[in-house]
Formats: sequence, structure tokens, C-alpha cells
Amino acid sequence: MSDFFNTYGSLIVFMVLNALLALSLYLPLMAGQLSLASPGFFALGGYIAAIMSTKVFHVEAGAYPLGYVLIEMLLAALASGVLALIVGIPSLRLRGIYLALATIAFIEIVRVLSLTLEITGGAVGIFGIPQPFGTPLGYLWLALPLLIVAALAIWRLERVRVGRAFNAIRADELAAGAMGINTTYHKVLAFTLGAILAGIVGVVYAHVLNTWNARQGTFEAGVAYLTYVLIGGSRTVVGPIVGGLALTALPEVLRSLGGESLPTWLNNFLNSGQSIIYGTLIVLSTTFFPQGLITPRLLRFWRRTRASNDQ
Amino acid sequence: MKIRQIQQVLIALLVVSLLAACGGDATPTSAPADSGGSAEPTSSSGQAAPSGEPIPIGVAVAQTSNVSLFGQEQVTGAKIAEQYFNDNGGVNGRPIKLIFQDTAGDEAGAINAFQTLINQDKVVAIVGPTLSQQAFSADPIAVQNKVPVVGPSNTAGGIPQIGEYVSRVSAPVSAVAPNAIRYALDQNPDIKKVAVLYAQNDAFSKSETVVFQRAVTDTYKLELAPVQTFQTTDTDFTTQATAVLNEKPDLVIISGLATDGGNLVKQLRELGYTGPIIGGNGFNTTNIFPVCQRFCDGIILAQAYSYQQESEINQAFRKAYKDAQGKEPPQFSAQAFAGVQVIVEALRKLGDLSSMALEQTREQLNQQILAGTYETPLGQLSFTPEGDINQSTFYVAVIKMNDSGTDGTFEFVK
Repeated sequence: MSDFFNTYGSLIVFMVLNALLALSLYLPLMAGQLSLASPGFFALGGYIAAIMSTKVFHVEAGAYPLGYVLIEMLLAALASGVLALIVGIPSLRLRGIYLALATIAFIEIVRVLSLTLEITGGAVGIFGIPQPFGTPLGYLWLALPLLIVAALAIWRLERVRVGRAFNAIRADELAAGAMGINTTYHKVLAFTLGAILAGIVGVVYAHVLNTWNARQGTFEAGVAYLTYVLIGGSRTVVGPIVGGLALTALPEVLRSLGGESLPTWLNNFLNSGQSIIYGTLIVLSTTFFPQGLITPRLLRFWRRTRASNDQ
Repeated sequence: MKIRQIQQVLIALLVVSLLAACGGDATPTSAPADSGGSAEPTSSSGQAAPSGEPIPIGVAVAQTSNVSLFGQEQVTGAKIAEQYFNDNGGVNGRPIKLIFQDTAGDEAGAINAFQTLINQDKVVAIVGPTLSQQAFSADPIAVQNKVPVVGPSNTAGGIPQIGEYVSRVSAPVSAVAPNAIRYALDQNPDIKKVAVLYAQNDAFSKSETVVFQRAVTDTYKLELAPVQTFQTTDTDFTTQATAVLNEKPDLVIISGLATDGGNLVKQLRELGYTGPIIGGNGFNTTNIFPVCQRFCDGIILAQAYSYQQESEINQAFRKAYKDAQGKEPPQFSAQAFAGVQVIVEALRKLGDLSSMALEQTREQLNQQILAGTYETPLGQLSFTPEGDINQSTFYVAVIKMNDSGTDGTFEFVK
């Protein structure tokens, strides 16, 4: 079992962190806003962690204090929140595909800035980020509570007034406005909450990766997070989490399925054909389950089956 | 109803595949070399490993993603090395076995590949990863686990300093790049003004241009025109080419990758630049020929490898590569070969491995790697105590295109 955790420690952490990133995209989607801005805030959080831990806090030997990481997370949350307000208020006047385009432009601005600025290390980036834990698995102490808190908070959010307002805006923005819901306020709120979450995840990610550069949090990454949400399910909080966990694990699962006992061609296919299998799965799920695999209907169906079994 | 069943089946498949990952772990994909392994080091001394049991060496390079052009050249080089050394007695009678794990192009992939190689495949050492950024991410994992890593293509500054288990057979850009300027000055001593361009979003080009600029201003005391930048994804370089031409330089130095760099050369020439052009290491591939065609002619390149190098091992490598691929071996393949070679020759000096636990093998192997001197296809090389490479010779090549401009060769001039 220890071998298992040694081998897959980092993978488990990546799974949890990617589930969190999927949630950060799910938040604006709750209010019907297709925003791809999460990677931008994710990159910002990572740079805050990288710069603070290598240039501001100097820790000579031993493990990097966890308190510092928490300070970085707080800073990243603040910075992402403020930036999200600045970006969100004008860009959320746009709808649908135009909002998506504006947020892609935002990601590009962040990327080009991090390539040009001296403090972000240009294309090489920042390396030698100190480690608060001895093993990769230690990061679960940060990532897992974060996932549980975020999931519970969103689950709760869907059941209070604000969440219902999000839902109303998603169903019909015009009608929601006519019912007296302040649509701008709620849209910016959903956008900002997602940004704060992405920023915090960026901090943890930077420490896990040991290094941070402009290749993190790009448009491609944004599309990957969107896939987690779309395949997992964009209508319940469980969907993005399952999507993030499963799709991050998938390539590694395929890697471990390969082995000496299999015929060579199959082994080669599992090793190098990962992208083919991944792509096929995406096409299949989006064709047959446009709402994602885990839909509210399915959850209700499961609940009913369980209830009737209990009787 | 039917849809719901399919839906549940798909979800079940995902969950089962997750469980399969756990199950698959119980049977490691390859047998550990040193019986015993990490759990009980004492048991290994009792039962000597059979002489035929291969020694596992990990190769973690980018076999997929947009870096795979380099990664696949590295796989080819490493496979030739495996064949070559197993045909030449292996490690004191025991064969070596390369275990490949794909890192893809990102940092997380490199970490996952390293973890699998170290903990599941129980390799004695790792050759990889492809990119410097991936090395910054994954090499600390190897250092934590005390596994030697030999970087086949990590050229950024700071790589050997990651930890004592990290070394590289790829010469840092600071050592290679200035050779091209020296050659250009030998050809034309009247060069006064130099224009430098680089791909801003490429880590390698960014490190390389710093070296070029320093060599221009500090070493050779030449005048440097304002530096122009571009992106590897650009296709139109009119702005940069015009700005360069307005400065009337005697020499142009470009750090970029094959496609963007080739297009830039083409557009510079089309706009009327006639002076010499130095290309960075990103130009060091035959893939550039179709991009700039006849305009490629005359580009000067500094290289860490020449297939014309005359040593016996390079000729053996060159022949094996040509037989398999039908063309001359590129630098990435030669460096991957050298990475495997360094590990194999160090293993040979360790003596009987069967009496050593895996940790002990890895530790002593690392010391042995750093201590040795190796005759590789790259020429003679050794390591600094930190693990950086001391390479004895570098090469300068000039691109020669055929008359129709469809194909060309690298002509080594030094």
C-alpha cells in the first residue's frame, strides 16, 4: 500500500486540485456565465506563491512553514478577488460567446505579462519553490480540506437566496431582472467567487509543481477545466468534482493498465494512445450526455431507488 | 430509460478504472532489478539475482504533446543505446532494460512519470525529462527519493543546482552559443553592428538570447541594435524584419524554433537582408528546410553534436540510427544515447549489483556517474561536482541547400 501512495501521491493531489479548478469554472456557470478566466487567476495565484516563497520569505533549511503557505493563499484570494471585480464588471456586460472571448483575452494578457515582466522570470519562470511537506501526498492536508469546504459551500449556496438568484439568471437573465434580481451584482459575485477559488488553488499548485512559468494557466488549461465540468455535469456540484477527479486520473490509469502480460501492440496503445482514448471518451460523453454524466435527474433517480430499497 | 442505463455504465466504468489503478499497483509492471527493493534490504544478499535479469533504467521524455518532436528523437536515441550496450556485454553480463514513461509536455506529467519510474518500476536511474521547465518540476522528486537523474536536453541555468542527484549531458547554452559568433567573425572581421531577435514565449530561446547578447556586447565588444521579440506562434514578421533592416546590421542572430525562425529568416531575406544569419539551437533540425527553403542557405549554427565526429562510438551510433531512420542522427538522439551511456558505464564500475539494496545502488551509481569520464557520440565528457557537463568540443555548422531549395544538409565547418 505504501508503494501505491508513493507512486500515486502526486496524482491524487493533482486530482483533488483539478476538481477544485473545475469548481472554479462551475461557479460562474451557476449564474449561466461561460467564463474561461479561471486559468488567469490560477496563474496569478501561482505567481504570488512563487514570488513570495522564493523572494520575500527566506527559509534557509528544513520544511517551508505551513503558515507562510496560508498567508500566500490569503494574499492570492485578495488579489484574485480585486482583479476579478476590475475585470468582471465591464466584461460581464457581455453575454454568451462574447464573454468567453473576453475572458480568453484576459488569459492572454496575463500570459504575455508574465512572459515580459522581469519578476516572473520570463519564459523560464520561477523555480526552486520551497516545499512545506516531505512527500507529495502531504499536500492532501491542504487540498482535501479545501475541496470539502468549497464543495460544501457551493452545495449550500445552491440552496440559499443567492444560489436561487444564480439559477434564475441562468434560466433567463431578462426574466430574472424583471423579477427584481440584481443581475449584474449576482453575475459579478459568481465570477469573483470562482476567481478567488482559482487563485487559492494556484498557490497550492505552485508548491506541488516546484516551479511556475507562463505555461501554467493557459487557454488550453481552461479548455481542460471546461471539459471536466461538461463531462462531469454542469448542473450539480458533484459533476465538476467527479469530472476533475476522473479525467485527471484517466491518463495515469491507462498508463498503469499497460504491462508485460499484455500483447505488445495493446501495451503500446495504452502507453502512447492515451490522447486517442481520452478524445473518444469526450466525444462519446458530449454526444450522448450534453448535460454531463451526473445530472440532477440521475441524482434524484438514485435517491429514489435507495429510498424504495430502504422500505 | 436506456440512456440512463448507458449513463450509469459509463460512470461505473470511470469508477472501476480508478479502482483498477489501485489493483494494477499490486503487480508492478516490471520486475525490480535488485530483489529485495525498498521493503527489506537484507533479504537481497541471501538470494543472488539471476545473471540474466535485466537492470531497469527509466526514460521519462515527452512522447506525446507538442514537445513530442524532440521526445521521439530522444526515444530513438535511447533505444539505440539499449541495443548497443546489450550487444556489448551489458553491465558485467547483465542486460539493461529501458522503461519508457511518457511525460507529455507539462510539468504534472513529468512528476507523474518520475513517480511511476521510481516507486513502481524501481529503476536505478532516470534519463529525462525533455524540457527544462519539466526538470525544475520533476527533478526535486528524484532528489527527494535519492535517484540519479541525467538530463538529456535540459539547457537552462540552475538545473544541476536542483540537487546532488541531478546531472546533465546537454551543454548549457552559455557554452554552445558563442561559438557561432566566433565563426562569423572569423569569416568576416568587419562585422560591427549586430541585430538580435528571439522568441519571447520559449524558455530555451529566452535563455539563449541572453547568452548571445552578452557575447556580442561583452566578449566581442560589438554594437547591439535594439532587440526584437516575436512569439513562436507568429507567422508574420514584417514588423520585426523592417525594424532590423532599418538598423542596417552586419549580422543577425535569431533564437527561435524551426517554424517561426524559418519564416523569420525567409521574410528577412525577402525584404532584402543579405548579411550573415546565426540561428539558435532551435534551428538545429532538418524540419527547418521546408520552412525557409532556399533562404535557409548559409545560416550558421552552433551545435553540441556533429554526426561527422570521428570516434568509434559515434560512427556505430550514426550507423545504427541511419539503418533505422534513413537519415543522419540529430542532436537530441545523440544526447539521449549519451545519457544512457553515462549510466551504463557507471553501473559497470559498480561491480556486483546483486549484493546491493536498491537505495545503495542508486546512491553509489550517482557518485560513480559524477566521477567518470566518458567517450560518447558527443565527444569526451565529464561532470563538475555539481553535475553540470564538461564537454570538450563544440561544432559549428552552415546550412547548405540544394539548387531547387527543397532539401539541404548541415555542413560542419568546425
